Amino acid sequence: MNEDETALDLAFKASEKVFQYYDRKNIDFLLLCTQSPDYYMPTSACILQDKLELRTDIGALDFNLGCSGYIYGLALSKGLISSKIAKNILLITSETYSKHIYPKDRSNRTIFGDGAAATIIEKSKENGIFEFSLGTNGKGYKNLIVLNGGLKYRYDPNAEEIKDNSGNIRTNNNLYMNGPEIFNFTIEAVPKVVKDVLGKNRTTIDELDYIIFHQVNKYILEYLRKITKIPKEKFCINLLHTGNTVSSTIPIAIKDCLINNKIRKENKILILGFGIGYSWGATIIKI
Amino acid sequence: MKREEFLQELMEILELEDSKIDIKTNIKDLDEFDSLSLLSIIAFIDEKFGKVFTSDQLASITTVESLMELIGFEHFE
Repeated sequence: MNEDETALDLAFKASEKVFQYYDRKNIDFLLLCTQSPDYYMPTSACILQDKLELRTDIGALDFNLGCSGYIYGLALSKGLISSKIAKNILLITSETYSKHIYPKDRSNRTIFGDGAAATIIEKSKENGIFEFSLGTNGKGYKNLIVLNGGLKYRYDPNAEEIKDNSGNIRTNNNLYMNGPEIFNFTIEAVPKVVKDVLGKNRTTIDELDYIIFHQVNKYILEYLRKITKIPKEKFCINLLHTGNTVSSTIPIAIKDCLINNKIRKENKILILGFGIGYSWGATIIKI
Repeated sequence: MKREEFLQELMEILELEDSKIDIKTNIKDLDEFDSLSLLSIIAFIDEKFGKVFTSDQLASITTVESLMELIGFEHFE
């Protein structure tokens, strides 16, 4: 992507790709997950409704979540459909963390990639999105944060450079991640949510075809696989071309796994997201 | 865990090939030490000792001995 492109532009492009196969006139709700809005207000989803030439008798809203965002988007979609508020939902995840990262912050630069994904969720006779396990713990909010720029701490044009132990430099206007604390949270939360979502769906890893976690980084994924006792051949690691695209890693991985025949129609897969907030969630879907 | 075994495991997770370490080695001074090393140490302690430490506690680690102290000397023979 080029420098001037925003998450809204990426969201537009991803959606236009989907509309090559799907009639946009059917969409009656638009959900956009982003932490990189064009403006404080209005919400990017409203602007997208117009840019995408969607109907005007539809609902549209942004929601601000990171690596757990896709799971929450599916949970909201399922709620909207089962309560008969909507029938055909466009769920978009779009993020440009590169704009939040300080140029001299090598560590975060190598981890995150910008990206967007668009998914259509339709009302169907047979259920394809099963039970959810969701979780939130705001105690960890300071461990992954852009401190300045909101209304509590305004953007500071003279913000000082801060150097951490490993020689990375950032300012409080930029993304800050306390890697060890995030990892601590992850190894505590993920095994519990795996157990919980399996229990709620009365199933086991053995009965599932594939497992896709939020694609955080290879090292952490390998460790999570080990402690959740998931066989290698059922576990997705899909980081090579994109890096960590935050809320889009799961839908991008699903698409890549379909292309590479790692998953196919009728497969049951467990998807699980975790991160900034802290916020986490998992569900089981049928492809 | 035997001290020797602990040193051996540490060398593996920190991906030290040529450099030898003993309990007085300052882990953070090693050329191989980076932000991922800390994650490896967290995973290692979680797996072998079932313990979790805050980032501040981990930041205070210097030598191998200080890491052993944090885990608790009673875990070592």
